Amino acid sequence: EYPAPPGKMAAPRGWRLAWQGHCRLLHTERSAAPPPPLYPPVVASHTAKSKSAKRRRLEYFYQQVHEAPSIAEKLRLYGRLQRLKYVVYPQTFSLNADRWYQSFTKTVFVPGLPPAGAQPAGPGAPDLSELRSLACDALLQEHFYQRKRERPFLYREQQHVPGPFLTQLVSSLSAALGSSNPLLATSCLDLKPQVNFYWERGETVVCRGYRTGRIDPVRFQIDDEPLIQIRVPKQLPEFVPLDYSVPGEVPVINHKPDKLPLFKRQYDNKIFIGSKVADPCSYGHTQFHLIPDKLKRERLLKANLADQIEVTYRANGIASLFAWTAAQAMYQGFWCEADVTRPFVSQAVISDGKYFAFFCYQLNTLALTVKADQNNPRKNICWGTESKPLYEAVEGNNVKGFNDEILLQLVQFLLNRPEQL
Amino acid sequence: MAGLWWPARPAAGALRAWAPRGPHRGKTAQVPRRPLPRTPWTTRGPPPGAPLPRSWQDKRPVQEQIPGLEQVTYAGKQYFVPWLARPRLPRWERGWHDPRHSPGPRYEAMPLYKERVCYVCHQRTKMLEGVRQALWLTKTKLMEGLPPKVLSIIDEPANQLENEDERVQNAISHARVWITTELIPKRESYCPVLLEDLLHLCRTMASKYPSLSKRMLARDYKVAAAWERESSILQVRGMNGILLNAINPLLPVASKDEILATENHVLETFHPISPTIDLQEVNVYEERHDTGFREGYPYPHPHTLYFVESANVRPVRFRPEQLRAKMLMFAFGNALAKAKILYGDDPKVLEHPVVVQSIGTEGRIFQFMVFQLNTTDLASSDGVKNLVWIDSDQYMYDYIRYLPGIRKKVVKFPPGIYGYRPDTFKKFLALYLHGAVQDSTQTQIL
Repeated sequence: EYPAPPGKMAAPRGWRLAWQGHCRLLHTERSAAPPPPLYPPVVASHTAKSKSAKRRRLEYFYQQVHEAPSIAEKLRLYGRLQRLKYVVYPQTFSLNADRWYQSFTKTVFVPGLPPAGAQPAGPGAPDLSELRSLACDALLQEHFYQRKRERPFLYREQQHVPGPFLTQLVSSLSAALGSSNPLLATSCLDLKPQVNFYWERGETVVCRGYRTGRIDPVRFQIDDEPLIQIRVPKQLPEFVPLDYSVPGEVPVINHKPDKLPLFKRQYDNKIFIGSKVADPCSYGHTQFHLIPDKLKRERLLKANLADQIEVTYRANGIASLFAWTAAQAMYQGFWCEADVTRPFVSQAVISDGKYFAFFCYQLNTLALTVKADQNNPRKNICWGTESKPLYEAVEGNNVKGFNDEILLQLVQFLLNRPEQL
Repeated sequence: MAGLWWPARPAAGALRAWAPRGPHRGKTAQVPRRPLPRTPWTTRGPPPGAPLPRSWQDKRPVQEQIPGLEQVTYAGKQYFVPWLARPRLPRWERGWHDPRHSPGPRYEAMPLYKERVCYVCHQRTKMLEGVRQALWLTKTKLMEGLPPKVLSIIDEPANQLENEDERVQNAISHARVWITTELIPKRESYCPVLLEDLLHLCRTMASKYPSLSKRMLARDYKVAAAWERESSILQVRGMNGILLNAINPLLPVASKDEILATENHVLETFHPISPTIDLQEVNVYEERHDTGFREGYPYPHPHTLYFVESANVRPVRFRPEQLRAKMLMFAFGNALAKAKILYGDDPKVLEHPVVVQSIGTEGRIFQFMVFQLNTTDLASSDGVKNLVWIDSDQYMYDYIRYLPGIRKKVVKFPPGIYGYRPDTFKKFLALYLHGAVQDSTQTQIL
């Protein structure tokens, strides 16, 4: 700090008192403008192996990302550095994966569905009997009427009947509900799109390699492929306000993610919602996931893991929806140092062909790194139901025990739209 | 590297292994090679009477030509020596039937074996003569352009989407540019996505015409149809494309007079090439008719077949002519299977012709086809013929620019779609709306 305050300079032995031109004389007035600095600012080194140098490099990196001219450039700079990261699989066989994923994404899980906002009366309430006949027709076509191979190949049963059934159901329902929901008429339907997200949460010490001993953020990457995805040009309305205090806690797990098990790899840090930034449909509406063959109900029951059935649905919902919603937020220019100013909302339906579970996700914060999370009271919220069957059985050309509530819930999900429309 | 990055390309002046090297380097074929002239030699083998080439002549082994001459082998020594011939040992027999290592029954021993050969057309059949061959095989008369009934649907202003051009161009950009984090997506990813996006746009018209919701798409279904054509049995089998099924059948597109006028038409032959060329010859077959769906299916009538030609490699991909031939064969197959199930197996002229539409694309070029099955009497080449209207090689856009063209540091050619033609999507939509829309020129066809 200069000019050195007078009276504080200790004179070492043998040092002659030299006149310091910058010191103020005791009885003079300070002029209006301070004199321009003669020396550049004293800052920490850029390349030293020290904490202050690391801080300075981080600040420079954040400043570069803040000043990026376009969103594509911002995403490129954000994920430019490649390091080993944990690859998080939404559809996983790990036990109690939903609690781990909640801690990775700072999400509170609330059972049930969000408080229903007042939906404005649309141009015409949809006829449930017509939609029920559409759903039954799709079901019977795939199960009975269309001639298929008797036995599908090993581990391909889900893509043999339930996959085409879900695709057909969603496309015909969204076409039929286009009149009630004008947002669906301008939506974009993707089949098997790629959804990727990369984020950092928490800190750890690097244990191996030339960087041993340094403190590094823990990096995660989700690479997801939902069965069907509906993207819309306008954002869905929020379920609860941005700073709503949720009754629930984010689980804290005091183990390394390796224990889940979760494995590290190093490759492209991709952030993708299903199409590039230039696409006008850059907000998400609903995703539809199909439970894979290795996580089916029968296999889990045979392995005495009946309590993990709901866990697979929840883990899939939390991870997929977090990745999609956070990627949508990054497509709008927000990131961990520039937190979201409005909540981002998405919905998902996870099914194995017969059992359906509904999830809603509200992203309130993207600031998950240690530095950004220090004074961040906001949490992301995920609402989810238990999986319930859509029908009891399909015998010949009859559907027995069709459950209208599931269909109604699906229709309400598809009819979700902002108030202006 | 994260995000969009330049693709790794060889440098501008790099030598290519397939291009000429040395003083003629850089001179790749400027003019596309014209197809070879069709002579008997270039199509199938030498003409009758000419001597066979050396490699095709029958070569008998030396042992047959010089009797008594035997090779000395190391079979007696029971070990290999390099100066003696390799013995021909008898094939090892297991002694018992192991189902996991059995070659299976021979063709002659199979229960469905027949002496008479059957020619099968499946989804990888690339016919040499293309549409002409398919016309002969299906006893069809070709009409250029789409039928006037479908064209009148295009002219109606109510049959257009809102912001149609903008939405179609968004769909094209989505499929061709925005679908992947890399710079350029492959045809295998963009071609089916483009078709799905266009179908999604067509489905949004269901709010205007509620009868459009009474349709169902079927993927991965198998069709089977068999017929006899001038002493050869022909079959159409297998998975073909995406089928749109409807509750109500399509009304016939041609009037009775036009149907009767086809009696005078003579089918085009292409001697010396046999019309069954490139079809798979099988001796083990079963003649059956199957639409792919069981009885009682709520959407029994085939409406439109969508073909996606998305092979990445050009030699594997179907050329437009072969794609049109495949579309015609499978539209005919679906129509014939439906007609046989509705009206019985006897060959006859149909009172109510069956109409099936077909659209094929390879991502940029669209082929539109409307096929009307008038008769199932296909054994002779005389009599009433079927009708097909083909609108071929409709470009939806000319090309896509992925990177901006910069000349002297100024962006001269921005990235995007170049040469967009709105008519192609109008025809696509018209074929989709056909059957659900009352157009002005519709007359009652009895």
